[in-house]
Amino acid sequence: MEWILLILSAILLPVFPLSWLFNRLVDTAPGCWGRALAILVLPQLGILLIYTVPTVPLPTSLERVILLLVLFTTLFYAFRALSVREVTIWTRLMASSGLTLDWILVAAGKNVHGVQIFALAWSLPAALLLVWAGLLRQRMGGAYLGLQGGLATVLPRLSSLMTLTALALVATPIFPGFFALLQVFHLLAVSWLWPLLILLLLWGWNIGRFLQDLLFGSYRGEPMEDVSYGLAAGGFAVLFLFALSTLIWSGTWTGI
Amino acid sequence: MDTLAIIIPFVPILSAVLLLLFFRQQKAIAARISVLATLLTFVFSLILLTLYIGNQVPRVEQLGSLWGSIWLDPLSLIMWAFVSGISLLVHMYSVRYMIEEPNYPRFFAYLDGMTATILFMVSAGDLITLLISWFLVGVFLYFLLGHDTDRPAAGRYAFWTQITYRVGDLPLWLAAFLLFKYYGCLSLPVIFERIAAAPTAMQLWGMSVPAWVGILVAIAAFARSAQILLHGWLPYTMDGPTPVSALMHAGIVNAGGFLFNRFAPMFEYTGLALHIAFVVGLITAVVGSALMLIQNDVKRSLGYSTMGQMGFMVMECGLGAMPLAVFHLIAHGFFKASLFLGAGDAIGDARRNDGVPPDPLYVSVVERRPAKPSRLPWWTAATLTILVPVIVLSLSHFVESSRLFFEQGVVILLFFAWVTGAQAVFAAHKMTHTNPWQLMGGILGSFVLVVLGYTLISYYFVDFLYSPSASARLFQSASIGVLSYDVLVIILTLLFVGGWALTFFADAKDWGRNLSQRWQGMYLAMYAFLSRELYLNDFYVRLSQVLLSWSRRLNVWFRWS
Repeated sequence: MEWILLILSAILLPVFPLSWLFNRLVDTAPGCWGRALAILVLPQLGILLIYTVPTVPLPTSLERVILLLVLFTTLFYAFRALSVREVTIWTRLMASSGLTLDWILVAAGKNVHGVQIFALAWSLPAALLLVWAGLLRQRMGGAYLGLQGGLATVLPRLSSLMTLTALALVATPIFPGFFALLQVFHLLAVSWLWPLLILLLLWGWNIGRFLQDLLFGSYRGEPMEDVSYGLAAGGFAVLFLFALSTLIWSGTWTGI
Repeated sequence: MDTLAIIIPFVPILSAVLLLLFFRQQKAIAARISVLATLLTFVFSLILLTLYIGNQVPRVEQLGSLWGSIWLDPLSLIMWAFVSGISLLVHMYSVRYMIEEPNYPRFFAYLDGMTATILFMVSAGDLITLLISWFLVGVFLYFLLGHDTDRPAAGRYAFWTQITYRVGDLPLWLAAFLLFKYYGCLSLPVIFERIAAAPTAMQLWGMSVPAWVGILVAIAAFARSAQILLHGWLPYTMDGPTPVSALMHAGIVNAGGFLFNRFAPMFEYTGLALHIAFVVGLITAVVGSALMLIQNDVKRSLGYSTMGQMGFMVMECGLGAMPLAVFHLIAHGFFKASLFLGAGDAIGDARRNDGVPPDPLYVSVVERRPAKPSRLPWWTAATLTILVPVIVLSLSHFVESSRLFFEQGVVILLFFAWVTGAQAVFAAHKMTHTNPWQLMGGILGSFVLVVLGYTLISYYFVDFLYSPSASARLFQSASIGVLSYDVLVIILTLLFVGGWALTFFADAKDWGRNLSQRWQGMYLAMYAFLSRELYLNDFYVRLSQVLLSWSRRLNVWFRWS
């Protein structure tokens, strides 16, 4: 029973190779709002399941295996996201890369609330980005970046929202992902830190490619209507509050 | 003083927020608010610096419980005045220069954001604030360089800068975590106190923790200051707006020198990173200057000149002359900012008057002046070239700071200063003039003035930034064994004398025209190697293409899930 619960948790809080199922689950959710809800809720369910396993915190023998799998998963998905230009897929892969780090907190014996908050550092921006991707698809027929450049000029509000949200997803300060990553650094031994450094490099590369395809170039397609001021203000407000939560509760995010 | 110190970095933040929220459509008001905010920041910084000179007590102001501390020490205060001064110049220049550009208020908001971030970076009193601000400088720079989103090239080169910066962020992350894990504290002053109390108490993989951290900090500084192998992005930042190039080359690129100085209390006890910095800085200075000489574009030439200057700055840090590096970065910042901001005018002037000196035949026939103006006798010029710089430099340094005169770092610095001075005098000798004594007198007079000014100011900096014992410890830390040191000096001397001899004979005997087929091929290969910027960017582009193709294959195998 414990193993089944752990396997189910590894699907919902993605760890390779079960992370493939997590990605399929998110992808099959209906519409952008459904996908956003899935990426918010599934990891939280996974965390609750983990903490129903009686052997949590995990035994030391299992910790090392999980650590290896988690670090592989996070690098694997970040590396794969490099060549993706479709915003929904990119978001899924990047979220998988970040969410898997939750297992390090589980292995370190952190309490359930700390782990749940940690998961939000990636699932909340991912959910927002999935919504923005849906809005982009409504206007362009697809959320594929790089075919039509210069969205910053034609869709200034939507592209600003996408830019900020993507920055939050790749752990840019002052968003919570940055502080959550500090916590992971803090929990690992020095000899295990190098994969995290590669991860930071891959995330940096990812955001560079994402923004280059999103913002730069000349748009030559049909005229498009940007998102409304109200929606943009709402999106910015959510991101602002998200960042503000870091400034107020830095200790919670960093675990220091 | 406390309240003022806390206000200063928030003034540009307030301006940025106001511009983004309320003045996105009002160009004139946005520019005025931004310039006024920067002016206030500059004035407040100067006031704070003056107050500090009065009482000289460093302190840390805590803004948050975990992070967000401001370290008010001489380094922070000097850097605040410098950064806000450069930022003010760039703001004022941008008011007219950027007026035709779209998103004008947003540009000023980003400039303000960048100014605030740098202010936090140079005054960070704890590891998290340092990491955050170090990281955010790269983010703001990306958006400033990519301000013109219509041009794909702007995005491409902004990305190059961003990814190199990210490479430089990684060692700093690791360094920060090593310090936190081993010294159990986030506060930089406290960590430095603990290191000073027991420099080798903490060991990791056969070396002391400060030695590892020193190497990591040095690598982070190399990436920010465009040292060799991590320099490919620097010349391409010219693709951004000119004010951003000026800010970049006058301020942001100096972050490496600042980082060395910030961690100077640690470098007093670990010399390995300083030796690495000396070698890397030396190679960068030579390569940067060589690349500068073959450029045919003014701004790119200035870009490579920055690379060479950064090499010198890092080399100074490697020699233990940390305050000299601060003085260098400030002096370089102001002269490079003025060069960039004046580059447009220079190009305009060149279009009206090419400035090419007339050849002797033209002078003789058209202007009716002597066709071949005289030069000083070669032995007089040689004596002046070799002796005057060494006498002036040695005397000035000996009078100012005899206690440090025999430190290895000082001798090496004097050696390079002598080479530079001799080069200037030699170049003056090669210029033809109707009155060569007048020309040489002018050059020598200027040289003496520059050396005296530089010596006085740099030694004032030493006293202001570091205690005499800290200065001596830094020079000691940068020292090497006597035999290695003697060998190094001999090699450097041979290299410079050989280089001068080569230049002299190549010029005198016109080797350029008489090269054999084999040498011609080598010459062209060397030119191609330099003009393709050592093929480094080609290598990085190819590497990224290979990695991306592997990423694509994996995605196909795993059906994008």
